[in-house]
Order: sequence, then C-alpha cells, then structure tokens
Amino acid sequence: MSFFLPVLLRNLFQGPSTEAFPFAEAYTPAAMRARVSFNPDSCALCRVCARMCPAGAIQLEKRPDGLEFILWHNACVFCGLCVHYCDSEALHQTDDWHLSHLQAEKYAMVEKAVVKFQKCSTCGKQKMPAPLPLMAKLYPGLAADEIERLRAMCPQCRKAESAPVQGETP
Amino acid sequence: MNAIKPSLASRLSTKSPWLYRINAGSCNGCDVELATTAIIPRYDVERLGCQYCGSPKHADIVLITGPLTARVKDKVLRLFDEIPEPKVTVAVGVCPISGGVFRESYAIAGPLDKYIPIDVNIPGCPPRPQAIIEGIAKAIAVWQSRI
Repeated sequence: MSFFLPVLLRNLFQGPSTEAFPFAEAYTPAAMRARVSFNPDSCALCRVCARMCPAGAIQLEKRPDGLEFILWHNACVFCGLCVHYCDSEALHQTDDWHLSHLQAEKYAMVEKAVVKFQKCSTCGKQKMPAPLPLMAKLYPGLAADEIERLRAMCPQCRKAESAPVQGETP
Repeated sequence: MNAIKPSLASRLSTKSPWLYRINAGSCNGCDVELATTAIIPRYDVERLGCQYCGSPKHADIVLITGPLTARVKDKVLRLFDEIPEPKVTVAVGVCPISGGVFRESYAIAGPLDKYIPIDVNIPGCPPRPQAIIEGIAKAIAVWQSRI
C-alpha cells in the first residue's frame, strides 16, 4: 500500500500523461524529420536528390524553359538523404508531420516547382542556375557583389574569368 | 434519412468504431507505431472511442500496413472481404500508399488501391503516433458520414 501513495500523489499533481492531441497541439521535437520542403531559388539542378532518394520520390522532368522538381510526399520516407546531399541548400526537412489525407487528395500531395534555365551574362548561352549558397561555398571569402557577378555567368565564362589563361586579360 | 430518427443504441454505437489491423507484408515499423498508439497512455487512441478487435467480422475501420507483397495479396483480399460494410479503409505508412522503398519490386503486388478502395492515407515511414491518431480521426469522420 505504501508504494502506491507516492504514485497517487504524483498523478494528482501532475495530471494525466496522455497528450491532448487531436483536441490540442501535439508536442513536436525540434529535430523532427518530416515533410521535405523545396526552394526553387537555390536549386542548382544537379539531380543528386533524385539519384539519392531510396524511394524514388523525387523526379526532375524536362520542361521547355527548365526542369520541374517533383517530390511526392506519399513516397518520401523522411530519410533525409536528399537534404544531406543538397549542397545548394534547396531542400530542407521541416517538422510538419500533418500529412494524413483523404484518398481524393492522394496525388495532390506533391511538392512541385519549375527551376528555370538562365542566360549567361557574358556569352548569352543558356546555362544551369548557380544558386547563392552553392557559390558562397565555392568562393569563400569573395565579396558579395563579385559572387553575384560570377553567378550570372555560365561555367565556361566563369572559368575564363576566375582562372584566365596566361597572357590573356580577363 | 428523412423523418426516421436513429435509435439510441445506433446513435451510441456510431461513437465507437472498432479498429482492425491487417499486416500486408509490413516491416513491422508501422505495426509497432499502431500498437504504440493504442497501448501507451501518452497517445491512447481509445479516447476517440476506438478499440482494436481480434476478428474482421467486428471491425468498422481497417488499418492496413505494408506494401501488399505478392505472397500475402490473396490473404489480405480475403480478409478484407470478411469485414462487413460500411467499412473505412486506412492505409498506414508510405508502403500501402505508393510502395515506399519497395516500389516496383518483383515481390510487390501493390500499391494497395489497385485492389482495395482506400479512404484515408497516413504517409510516413513510419508515421508518428500523433499522425496515426490524426488519420484515424479523419477515418471516423468518413465512417460517420457513411452510416
């Protein structure tokens, strides 16, 4: 009997240990791995996410002016490989786990965005986008406006600019 | 449903759907989460009036986990036919919904909605207990609209 009294007292003061969800907000850990979000502005179209995805949830499809990033949340297993390997920080894992839905919405559970090709500021050819987070990693310590200038170039022009052939002026 | 008022017994019974679990070749991850949702007091799905039952003949809401392997397909379909109408089908985890990491495998007959009408999907690998409770709450709403 004596062992029971502390338990009873504790329960009286602490209240029930059952979470009130769905009638109130549920506790979500800060490091919760749930819905993956995509930012098309920092995607470099390297396709490493589609290659790493074990469930094949990510596809990049050709469009006339770029590539369309398609992530189906109903196939994503929250492994975080795409986020880990995304060097340009376009993919992030949010803590939003409210993914249950009716069958009618099954194929609408998609993260979709078209990442457009760009034009090189120097030669005018079509090029893949060079997002800021990736370029900041590639050129550490470079001034912000200089990085912006290099970003607008295609890889060939950028190479000629940053590592000119001896004897040539950039 | 014009002038006929439902009896007290039928009004009360609509508040407590019984859950039935089918493992269609699951890795057991989602099954553990389903057990957690029911058994651990912190989550306690029985607050919603639900209870797991042992026989498909007593079930109202059926929770299916797993990608529907080729070997288990006929058994799952036979079991599903034993559940009386009106029933609500819930796919738990990404495997029954899309096949998950087993998609397009030779051993998989799924996705499940090729064979069974699904009503609610709960994606996740596995979904956390709160997400399962959320999905079951949606399934109860579907079920109440059907009876």
